Amino acid sequence: MQYRAQREPISPGVERSRHRPSRGPEALTYDLANVIALIGNFGSGKSEVAVNLALTLAAEGRKVAIADLDVVNPYFRCREAMDLLASHDIELVMPDTRYFSADLPIVVPRIKAIIERPDDCSILDVGGDDVGATVLASLADAFRSVRHDFLQVINLSRPFTDTVEGCLAIGRQIERAARLTITGLVGNTHLMDETTPEHLAEGYAFVQEVSRTTGLPVKFVTVDRSLMASVPVDDWSCPVLPLTRHLLPPWKRPEADLGSDNFLLRGRGISPHLHKE
Amino acid sequence: MGKKILMKGCEAIGEAAIRAGCKHYFAYPITPQTEVAEYLARRMPEVGGVFLQAESEVAASNMLFGAAGAGVRVFTSSSSPGISLMSEAISYIAAAELPVVFINIVRSGPGLGGILPAQSDYFQATKGGGHGDYRLLVLAPSSVQEAVDLVMTAFTLADRYRNPIMIIGDGMIGQMMEPVEFHDELASEPPEKSGWATVGCKGRDPVIVKTLYLDPVACHKHNVKLKEKADRMVANEVRGERYNCEGDYRLLLVSYGTMARVCKTAIDELKEQGIEVGMYRPISLFPFPILPIRQEANRPHVQAVLSVELSMGQMVEDVERAVLGARPVHFYGMAGGLVPTPDDVTRAIRELL
Repeated sequence: MQYRAQREPISPGVERSRHRPSRGPEALTYDLANVIALIGNFGSGKSEVAVNLALTLAAEGRKVAIADLDVVNPYFRCREAMDLLASHDIELVMPDTRYFSADLPIVVPRIKAIIERPDDCSILDVGGDDVGATVLASLADAFRSVRHDFLQVINLSRPFTDTVEGCLAIGRQIERAARLTITGLVGNTHLMDETTPEHLAEGYAFVQEVSRTTGLPVKFVTVDRSLMASVPVDDWSCPVLPLTRHLLPPWKRPEADLGSDNFLLRGRGISPHLHKE
Repeated sequence: MGKKILMKGCEAIGEAAIRAGCKHYFAYPITPQTEVAEYLARRMPEVGGVFLQAESEVAASNMLFGAAGAGVRVFTSSSSPGISLMSEAISYIAAAELPVVFINIVRSGPGLGGILPAQSDYFQATKGGGHGDYRLLVLAPSSVQEAVDLVMTAFTLADRYRNPIMIIGDGMIGQMMEPVEFHDELASEPPEKSGWATVGCKGRDPVIVKTLYLDPVACHKHNVKLKEKADRMVANEVRGERYNCEGDYRLLLVSYGTMARVCKTAIDELKEQGIEVGMYRPISLFPFPILPIRQEANRPHVQAVLSVELSMGQMVEDVERAVLGARPVHFYGMAGGLVPTPDDVTRAIRELL
């Protein structure tokens, strides 16, 4: 099932982007299944992409559930955006909050439910590498029972995925571990605050090259919201997801208008200890 | 290399060690630094190096002892409880005057504590940890780039002083991703080691790597030698950064690592409101930048000093040692893996001004 009635499949390299930055996020059209799992090497940006995709789809009026399946990395997981997601009526499926900061392999039963019976659309943010994807193997039968997208997130600037061969190798490892087949690619090339338009263009070209080699469609590429006007997205043959950083280090100010937050920034109601001499 | 890539602190530390010419890594995984081991499990075989996952930190640290004694560049990474387990070997390695680089990506303690960022191993790193009179040269990066540069430099310093060097970063330094480039010019050729390392004794007397000195006079002399080495570090290896110290600021912050970056945000925002606050960020925790901090604290416009840490107050004792009562020294901090926000720091500063 597709999100927009008017949408037909997008063939990479053939069609122009339907996204026009001037028209804002509502112009986005994606060819995505109702159940989407984001996989990739660790640090490829799966969590940030998952949070941004969830917010964008929710803004389009979709009922979104997002599952934090990251059992690999205890920092910068999408559960850190729990307040932000809640404020947009996005269901966050994660282990009990008692285990919020744990790096334990907890898979709650609700995850299977949002795969087999999605309310509308379900996004699964999977831990990095084949290790992180191993958790999906137990859910592989659930996935196979529905139309799903199993998307490899690729950042050209990361070690081990800076070549087509590197991307293929990690993709194969993850497919083996997850017992699932990758159905598409997500281009997420960036260098955090040092991302340039040239760099984004390079990343776009690279993911297209991976697409040509693998035959897998590029489902979308991400572009930092502040750089949207500097990049020729109209010439790109795939949709563009404007990206805002929500999973921030503690010294960074969240973008207040978007209500982003960081779990470390909150301090959870505890005041630091001030000892005056 | 020139081209910037996006790396997680832990990965970048592993790559920096390889770039520094280190091909031997012995370790045991522990959050939040297991990615160093993961990265090197993949990379070490590519460069003809060795990663051996030991059965414990105790085993890993004694492998370092042996490998360094045999004259090879060697390093490990761990996190707080793991470093505690390594402390015995660190003392032996310091006593045997061997060059080894230790990385401590600090999690909250004491005990098993938690896996989120902390700076509560300051005492352990700078004041001992292991037994006996020895000093580690301790360097504390506050960005992934700085971590990379300091790791590469650490191998040179380890050889220069024939002493263990510790890079200490809170969990955020290990876990966050930032763009980095590798400055290969920071790598050095290992020095000639045949005078003390067990590199083969054909044609000369054997050398023995040992730490046992039953003769008290010999043991005293050995301790004096180690003290002189520490004094050379104090004279030559102080590193730090001044931030917003040009103007007539009224409060001096002292902070390092991730906490210093939060302080910078607070300082920048207060500056926009016309409030000037300066900061000294120690990069070397031992040797502690006593003189630069004393110099800043003694500026006539400075009313007080505030040590801001992810601990319940450890570095503040060295800040007091630097300020020597010339100004009140206050402490502000959080433990347990929580990080004060720029707003928290701003509130504390306003309360003191």
